[in-house]
Amino acid sequence: MKSNRIIIHTLLFLFFVILSIGITSADIIYSERIDKSDGYQINNYVIQVTNTLYGGEVDPTIEIFQLESDGSYTNLKDYVTRTKDMDNTIYLLFSRGSEKISIETLNYTTSYVIMDITTTGITIEYETAVDGGVSNANYIGEPSLTLTKEVDKTNVKIGDIIRVTIKAKNDGNGIAKRISIDPGITPGFTFKSNIYTTYPTELSIGGSFTQMFIYEIQAASNGTFSLNPATATYSSSVFDDDYSSPSNSPTVTVASEAVETSVIDLEVTADKTKLKRGEEITFTIHVQNPKDVPASTIRIDPIIPGNMTYVSGSEDIDIISEKPVIQESVYGARYEKDYTITLQADEIGSNELIVKLTYNNGVDEIREEVSSGMFYVEEGEYDYLAEYPLYIYVAPVLIIVAIAGWLYWRRSQFRM
Amino acid sequence: MLNVLIIGVGQCGNRILDSINKEAFGGGKFSKYYSRQKFPSRVETIAINTAINDLKEMRYTKAKDRIHIPNLHGLGANRIVGKQCFNENKDMIIRNISERGDFDVAFVISSSSGGTGSSFSPPLIQELKNRYDFPVYSIMVLPFREEGTIYLQNSAFCLKEMRESETDGIILADNQFLKNVGGDIQTAYDGINKMVAERVLFLLEALDSEMMMVTDLGDFKTVMSGGAGFATIGFAKGDNNTAIKTVIHDSLSPSGLLFSSDVYEEGSRAMIILRGDRKYLNIDDISSEIDKLSSHIGHVFKGVIIRNGETPKVLSVLTLETTAELDDLYTLAVEAIHMEKEKRGRMAIRKEADATFSKIDGLEPEY
Repeated sequence: MKSNRIIIHTLLFLFFVILSIGITSADIIYSERIDKSDGYQINNYVIQVTNTLYGGEVDPTIEIFQLESDGSYTNLKDYVTRTKDMDNTIYLLFSRGSEKISIETLNYTTSYVIMDITTTGITIEYETAVDGGVSNANYIGEPSLTLTKEVDKTNVKIGDIIRVTIKAKNDGNGIAKRISIDPGITPGFTFKSNIYTTYPTELSIGGSFTQMFIYEIQAASNGTFSLNPATATYSSSVFDDDYSSPSNSPTVTVASEAVETSVIDLEVTADKTKLKRGEEITFTIHVQNPKDVPASTIRIDPIIPGNMTYVSGSEDIDIISEKPVIQESVYGARYEKDYTITLQADEIGSNELIVKLTYNNGVDEIREEVSSGMFYVEEGEYDYLAEYPLYIYVAPVLIIVAIAGWLYWRRSQFRM
Repeated sequence: MLNVLIIGVGQCGNRILDSINKEAFGGGKFSKYYSRQKFPSRVETIAINTAINDLKEMRYTKAKDRIHIPNLHGLGANRIVGKQCFNENKDMIIRNISERGDFDVAFVISSSSGGTGSSFSPPLIQELKNRYDFPVYSIMVLPFREEGTIYLQNSAFCLKEMRESETDGIILADNQFLKNVGGDIQTAYDGINKMVAERVLFLLEALDSEMMMVTDLGDFKTVMSGGAGFATIGFAKGDNNTAIKTVIHDSLSPSGLLFSSDVYEEGSRAMIILRGDRKYLNIDDISSEIDKLSSHIGHVFKGVIIRNGETPKVLSVLTLETTAELDDLYTLAVEAIHMEKEKRGRMAIRKEADATFSKIDGLEPEY
């Protein structure tokens, strides 16, 4: 009894082993309907329901095609065995080498076929329903990664940190698998740290990673450098080949150690924030160089608002092309100075005085803009007079002119 | 409607003429700018002078009505030069007058004592009488007696020549008599000028108005033809409580007359014009007062102008048979002439002195 029990247990174990092998090697990967003229693609095979007419000796036509890399396709009918049982169930078996595809119709009508599709010996990389059948199916081929290397700054000084971002996009027609990235560290730069790292195992057709690999490097020596390209290595599941794609090489200029420069602080203040039309407002432009390095080639341009008129200013202010301009050759170390400028309000409204500053800080030309803040021009004391219609003024003026003319004429009659 | 010509000659005549024009405008300082002259007749006024500055001083007479005798700046009270000047320019003056149309009566106003007025007026009236038929009356202003010997002698000769000029009458106004107007000299002159102007305007109104009792130019001619050729004008106005009898009496009294005269004794003919509201013009009072005057001097023309709401005013025109004041003036004038002769004598002595000094002409002192 015991030996029988052992035999039974052994047979059950073998049954489950065989069953498990069968499950792993012959999966039903599709059990849905396929409409007439549509198909289902598995890797570069396309199962197409070519015709659904049936009745009598006519059965639905189910064909299996091989997609070619040049876009053409081949009917694999020579590798397909077709049978039909008493229940009108149709069986197709594709067999070429170790690759097998079994199709069993579950039902069919004049417009579709419901079928089970089972594969054996095929590693499925790609599967999808294909409207329009094989003619609309895409060949599944080699992946091609486009790698881009970007830096957050191109002009740095020694010691500055540069952030490098590597992006990837699969521009090929095969899935990229087993991707690995070599960031391509460049001599003259020291790797500092990884900021963000993605280790994608694969990248689908048309897929991309915009932040595939982000890391920081530190400039260690001066000069102009083309960063070494990053390299992606990957492979395809369809093809056995390995692939690699290099990135671009961004250029970074590293200056020598930082030089102390001058800084001009600019401040614009007004003596009032509200004024009436016709009144004047005076601005004080305060400039200060708090550094120990002189600034040179200073130019200050107060931009007069369109509805204001320049009245007067400090004697250092020149008028060039009817616009006030302050030009100084040098502001020495720890230097400060005030300029005043007086404007007259011509129109009602809100305004601000923008003052543009340009100077050389010893290394670069610096440009800045400073605003006085808003100030408001209100209605003038006699503005209401202008609101009256013209005839209110014309009539009295005509009367006065007529009276004056009469008096002049009359007086001339009595003068000798 | 009468056509009246009023000519002001010389400074005095110009100023009285300007005053007439001013009163015609209404009397306000600026009335010429907003008013029209309210002459009852068509009145043409002409100012004639040898001194341009006197003409320029006129304020109410139009520039086109001012005639300057060119190349002269006054005559310096020299009537001989004045008469010669008039003869040289009379064509221009007469032509200017003739361009203004026909006239029914003319008045020539001037001073008897100055240069232009006293020397131009007699020959001017003579020329007008020679050329036209309308009556020409002289309104002659006599000087302050203390103004000097030349003015006195000028007045004497001027009045004499005026009487010989065929004028239809000389209406006298005497500055000496009127100086009681008071105030400074300018105010006094202005006051006298205004008095004369008011009377002339009243007279013009009397000659050319529709009246309850009519006086006209014919009556005026008749009045002016009486007496010795001299006349004067009296004027008075009353208030609400003044009887018309009193107003008439005042117009004939020295305070109302332009020339000192005892009208009851020296008058020859008279014209009395009364103006005012009907309620003030009591006919009995008027008649009694005029009867009193006519009983002394003879005929008196009277006219009444009704003006509703106006207080009574009376204008009297009187011709004189004799005038003691004029005799006195001539007495003074004769003295003045003698005084001037003496001065001439002294000038001869002065010439002898000049001859004495001339003995050393051409010699130089030796040291």
